[in-house]
Parts: sequence; structure tokens; C-alpha cells
Amino acid sequence: MSKTDSFTHERLTASGDTTELERIRQFVQDKAREFGFSEQNIHKIALAVDEACSNLIRHAYQLDDSKEFFVDISPNDDDTLVIEILDNGTAFDPLTVPIPDLNQYAAQHRKGGFGVHIIRMVMDAVEYFPADPTHQMNRLKLVKKLS
Amino acid sequence: MSKFSIEQKTNGSAEVFYLKGFLDAHTAPELESAIANAIEAGQHRLVVNFNDLEYISSAGLGVFMVFIEEVRATGGDIKLTAMKQKVFTVFDLLGFPMLFDITEKEEEALAKFSA
Repeated sequence: MSKTDSFTHERLTASGDTTELERIRQFVQDKAREFGFSEQNIHKIALAVDEACSNLIRHAYQLDDSKEFFVDISPNDDDTLVIEILDNGTAFDPLTVPIPDLNQYAAQHRKGGFGVHIIRMVMDAVEYFPADPTHQMNRLKLVKKLS
Repeated sequence: MSKFSIEQKTNGSAEVFYLKGFLDAHTAPELESAIANAIEAGQHRLVVNFNDLEYISSAGLGVFMVFIEEVRATGGDIKLTAMKQKVFTVFDLLGFPMLFDITEKEEEALAKFSA
């Protein structure tokens, strides 16, 4: 049974401002719910997208609200939801971030570096494609299966 | 319009922070300055009550990481309490229960300070 009839590709345009996070989470939650995910997984998907966008807004865009990025959601025919976050910042592959060591981070009073770990744990697949001559924007692809 | 608020009450020797709403990269700085102010005022026994918190991202968790070593160095602590399952899940994903004292009820957290 495919859920692809529910909606097709949808895009949210957001700016480099942390006030956008609430709207982004709402957009992702609505689409994930429409696609048929459980409340637990809706929360996880919205959390992963929040983490990715928080990093993007704070680090790549340096809180510059004149810069825009896109959150694209599209269902796959095999009951899989694909979320792509496209940005124009300096390319940064989040998959190179090491798994955080809590005790070490506490000793260093570090408050960041956890987001990527959360994304990797709650999504089924995470891929990163830096901009290249044929793709003008960096692309972070997050995949979650219905079951 | 703020979707996050903090209420603060002194209870015995501890300062209790009641969080409400959504704690993310936008609202985390508000919590960070509230905790920094309490520590600066000499209060190192802190309890954070999550009963009315609907959502947390790692930016919220990061706030506790900033101060935990500092308050423990002086015999204090940051005790976390009354989390909804959804909020606890995020702490659990990152292994925070290993580093932080998380209790079900506020009284338990307060009792640990007076023990």
C-alpha cells in the first residue's frame, strides 16, 4: 500500500533566523503526519530537521536572515519519506562530525556538537552532497521509512 | 510572541526553574542566561522542572552541559525532573542519563539536595 497519493513534492523556504525553526518543525510534522507516521516518529523526524536547520542557520549562515534555504519533502513510492535541506552556505559535511563524548564535552563546557548525532540516530539514512557545477546548492538528504 | 517561558522559585536551599513550551536554538539563550544569573548570584543547587516543556532540541541540552562541571566543582548540581516521555527521549538518545541526575518527581530532586 503506497502513501504517495497523499501529497507530492512540497517546499518550505526559510531564512537564516532561529525564529524560523518553529515554522519548519510545524511544516515537517504536518507532512510526516499526512504520510502516516506514528506520533513518536513524527517527533523524531521534526527533531532531526530542526537539528540540521539549527546548525545551518547558526554556523553556515551565521544568523544572516537575508539568506534563504529550502526544506523539501517528497514521498518515495516504497513508503519512504525523503527530506532534503538545500543551502548556499560553505559546504560542510555533517557526517564528518565525530560521535560526542559526553564527559569530555562537559569538562570542556561544550554546548554544541550533538545535533548531528541525533540526526544519525533517528533517521534511517543520511547523505550529504556539496554543491557542484551541476547542483548549485549543498544538499542534506534525510530518509525515514514508515515501518 | 514567545513560545518558551521560565519561572523561578527558591525552595529550601535550591533554585527551581520551571520550563514551559518549546526549547530550541532560538529559545535556549534565554535559559542559558537565567541559569548563568543564578550561578553568578551564588546559587549552585539547581533543579530544572520540565513538567510543562513540550519540546527540546540539542540546543536546549547544551545549556546544561555548559554549567554542569562548574556547579559540581563547588558541591552543587543541576538536577533534572518531571520530563514528558518525548523530552526524555532526546536526553536518552545522547546518553545524558549517564551524566545527569534525572528524577521523576521534583520532590525527589529536592530531597537529594537536603540529604
